[in-house]
Amino acid sequence: MIEIILAGGIAVGTVLLLPSFGELVTERAGITNLSVEGSMLAGALTAFIVAKTTGNYAFGFLAGAFAGMLVAAVFASAVVFARANQLATGLICWFLSLGITSVIGNSYNGQAIHQLRQIDIPGLSSIPFFGNIFFQHDVVVYFGYVAIAATAWLLYKTKTGLIIRGTGERRAVVDVSGHRSSLVQFAAVLAGGLLSGVGGAYLSIGQVGNWASDMTNGYGFIVVAIVAFSGWRVSLTALGSYLFGMSISAASVLQAQGIAVNQYLLDSLPYIITLVALILASRTNSRQPEGLADSLSM
Amino acid sequence: MTGSSHDSGYNEAVADAAANLKKMSGVSVITAEQIPETNAVTDTMQQMADQGATIIFATSYGYFKYALAFAKKHPDITVLHQGGYQDGTFPANFGTYWGAAYEPVALGGMAAGKATKTNKLGFVYAFPIAQSIANIDAFQLGAAMTNPDAKTYLVNTSSWCDPVKQKEAVNALSAQGVDVFSQHQDCQTTVIQTAKAKNAKVVGYHYDASELAGSSWLTGSAWNWTPVMKSIVTTIKQGKFKGSKYNANWIGTFANGDNPLELASFGSSVDSGTRSAIKTEQKKLSEKGASVFTGPIYCQDGTELVKAGEVATYEDVNNFSCLVKGVVGTLPSTSD
Amino acid sequence: MKQGQVSTLNDKKRHTRIVASVVIPLISICIALGCFVAFALAQGTSLEGLYAALYYGVLANPNFLTQTMTRSVPLICAALAVIVPARSGLVNVGGEGQLIIGAVAGTGVAVSMGDAGVGIIGIIIVLLSGALAGGAWGYLCAVLKTAFHAPETVSTLLANFIAADIMLYLLYSPWKDPDGSGQPQSKPIAADLRITTVAGLPIAFIIVIVIAMAVWALLNKSRWGFAARVVGSNPVAAFRGGLSVSRYAHSAMLLGGALAGLGGALNVLGAEGQLRPGLTTTFGFIAFLAAFIAGTSIWKGVMYSIVAAAVLVGSNPLQLRAGLDGNASYVLLGVTCLAIVVISRKTGRAS
Repeated sequence: MIEIILAGGIAVGTVLLLPSFGELVTERAGITNLSVEGSMLAGALTAFIVAKTTGNYAFGFLAGAFAGMLVAAVFASAVVFARANQLATGLICWFLSLGITSVIGNSYNGQAIHQLRQIDIPGLSSIPFFGNIFFQHDVVVYFGYVAIAATAWLLYKTKTGLIIRGTGERRAVVDVSGHRSSLVQFAAVLAGGLLSGVGGAYLSIGQVGNWASDMTNGYGFIVVAIVAFSGWRVSLTALGSYLFGMSISAASVLQAQGIAVNQYLLDSLPYIITLVALILASRTNSRQPEGLADSLSM
Repeated sequence: MTGSSHDSGYNEAVADAAANLKKMSGVSVITAEQIPETNAVTDTMQQMADQGATIIFATSYGYFKYALAFAKKHPDITVLHQGGYQDGTFPANFGTYWGAAYEPVALGGMAAGKATKTNKLGFVYAFPIAQSIANIDAFQLGAAMTNPDAKTYLVNTSSWCDPVKQKEAVNALSAQGVDVFSQHQDCQTTVIQTAKAKNAKVVGYHYDASELAGSSWLTGSAWNWTPVMKSIVTTIKQGKFKGSKYNANWIGTFANGDNPLELASFGSSVDSGTRSAIKTEQKKLSEKGASVFTGPIYCQDGTELVKAGEVATYEDVNNFSCLVKGVVGTLPSTSD
Repeated sequence: MKQGQVSTLNDKKRHTRIVASVVIPLISICIALGCFVAFALAQGTSLEGLYAALYYGVLANPNFLTQTMTRSVPLICAALAVIVPARSGLVNVGGEGQLIIGAVAGTGVAVSMGDAGVGIIGIIIVLLSGALAGGAWGYLCAVLKTAFHAPETVSTLLANFIAADIMLYLLYSPWKDPDGSGQPQSKPIAADLRITTVAGLPIAFIIVIVIAMAVWALLNKSRWGFAARVVGSNPVAAFRGGLSVSRYAHSAMLLGGALAGLGGALNVLGAEGQLRPGLTTTFGFIAFLAAFIAGTSIWKGVMYSIVAAAVLVGSNPLQLRAGLDGNASYVLLGVTCLAIVVISRKTGRAS
């Protein structure tokens, strides 16, 4: 039973993992983007339309990534260059995406394409217990594993990462050292939108194989919470995404076993855990970028 | 209506009927979708009236209170509510209509019971509302008719349309050995898709999705609102609405030959023996006084839900709060 | 001659200011509306349809104003719930949850009164309990901030989801209406507890406007309001001046939450009459938007909330007359707000 919960959690968690990394990079550069949900919706619908019409999933994912980035570009233009308020602009971009995808996507509701197939990794997938959990998934889940390493490498081991983190902490220092901090922020937001778009695409064409209006059901806001839960760390962002996935799969698996669960308590558990994590984070030293707090005020 | 008109489910069925109404001579139809179940619907109805509408069909349960209040305020407009149930007196211009949904669901259960190899059926529902409980119970009772060993496993999603949770529900049930799925959700595509990927069978609800499900399709229940809506419109046009059967709680049943929830088409894997058994049962249900819920029926804990020799009325079914024997799982309301 | 020169200089300045504060916003909003019209046309709507929606749905619709006022009640309250904490430097994204908790508490108290016939005193008790519950819900996040340094932006956002789950739990289990065909809804609230209209004006709306005035006076004319502003704008100076920063953070969130909670309770007593899931449908977030665009001005907050309510009400004619999807109103809301947000920054810099 635990195996099934964990395996399911990894799959669902991947829907959140990629947008979470996107938001992590964005916030590390000192910008909070609340329109993750919007980028995910745009990515989900665009990927579905493209994959459905061309029959090519790679095109679908590319188009989804592009659509997610487009929403982020609207957000970034207003926030970085016009210095519009981040939280308000984020919500606006979410509303815009929700409206546009619902209107355009209406006629695609109920249509279907096949879900991504499971690819067992030779050798690894036959390891008892762990093989089931980690190595019997579709290709995007494996891409997620790579993304964990890649994000960590990018943020901590490269000069680009240093500049991104520097922008989030002290913009002036970055500007003085000859880089334009606003361009760094713009690029970080675009990268975030791209990953959110891929996450949305994975939701529609990878996981469930169809489009439904507002199908993200608030997962984009959970992404923002996950990043805060992690204390802006790569490892805990990954853990948080998978944990959230597991809470969803646990709700189903426990019920399927005939075990009584309080559905509403279980549903609110991830939020409560995140709150507790925030409280605990005050005791350890949180990695909240210094520029982030300033950027949120009115 | 509450959702999208293309959800392959409840709302699309209503949209289809509306499209058919348009074809009636001298009838023009305006529709509105994605209206929340709040006071906002009053304004929607008012706007329809301003646009000259004389008959309004309010097609979601949550509109009930507002529809009734609207009818009282506008005696010149006839308001019909889909799925509501009014105790007490009716204004002369108000009625509710619905169908005994559990009847075709039980027939679907028969097909499921026959098709399962593991004796485990899965039912994905959204919230523990009376309609869902009645459908789950009917599904299990139907399955037991063709397969006494069949058990129905439950998972709820706490959302009428959350594809992520639907997929997890099917995965979890499948891991438990379930090989036939049914559901009570607003959108059913994900459940069908995921079951299909697992080579499991599906029994649909709301809408005939045999094309989408392909070889996984057993059968299902599909709304066909056109006949009753047409009949209501005709009655009103003839000026005979007041005091008619529609100026009340109208419930379509097999027994009256007018259940708006019909048995959908059969999938290719359903053999002729099963088909005829289901057709025979449908005939039996079509006799006066027949019901899916004919006693004795027992709850999971062994208490009697319907006493031997008694038949549950529509009101009884609306107040069912227990799951019948053979259902595995608990309702959230009884689990804390 | 000298004087003349000065006056031309002033004229120039004034001209720039007029251009900055009137012309640019007007043009921007026109561009935004143009984008929406283009989007609508791309979806197969005709200009005639859009005009019909505007004319019959808004201009010639006697119910449009009442409906907008009714819907603006929870929006205004939730917007105030953002503005008050913002004065002391706190960002409250939890309006949605505070609305819900207020509605839940208000409904709980109202239903327990049953048909006792307590009338106006009952209404006051219901509203107070809604305010109290919403206030407590907001206060919790303030405490998390001051005691544990948990950012209130995140904690209030999370609290929204928890509040929604609490409401769902109550509606599906203990509070389920026994006569509701098993539907998730509370028992209906007794008629004598309902708030109706007077002379065509929703009473709930009048109450909200009075409260907005009181909040304005509190923030701008009272010692508390002044101190709270000092705390918000310069915490260090406030600390040196002997003001307890956390005390003002606590009271501001308490008051903010209470305002949203009151809005939730008012919405139940005024518009809805019973608690059902989906009662708030993103009102909290829309209000947050209205408040942010308003900066920290109460009256702008009220005005933008009413505008947002009007756009929401406008989704009906857009569907019925222009044949657009119901969610198109979100696009309209989005483009208009985006224009305003960008302008408010531009003109803010120009002046």
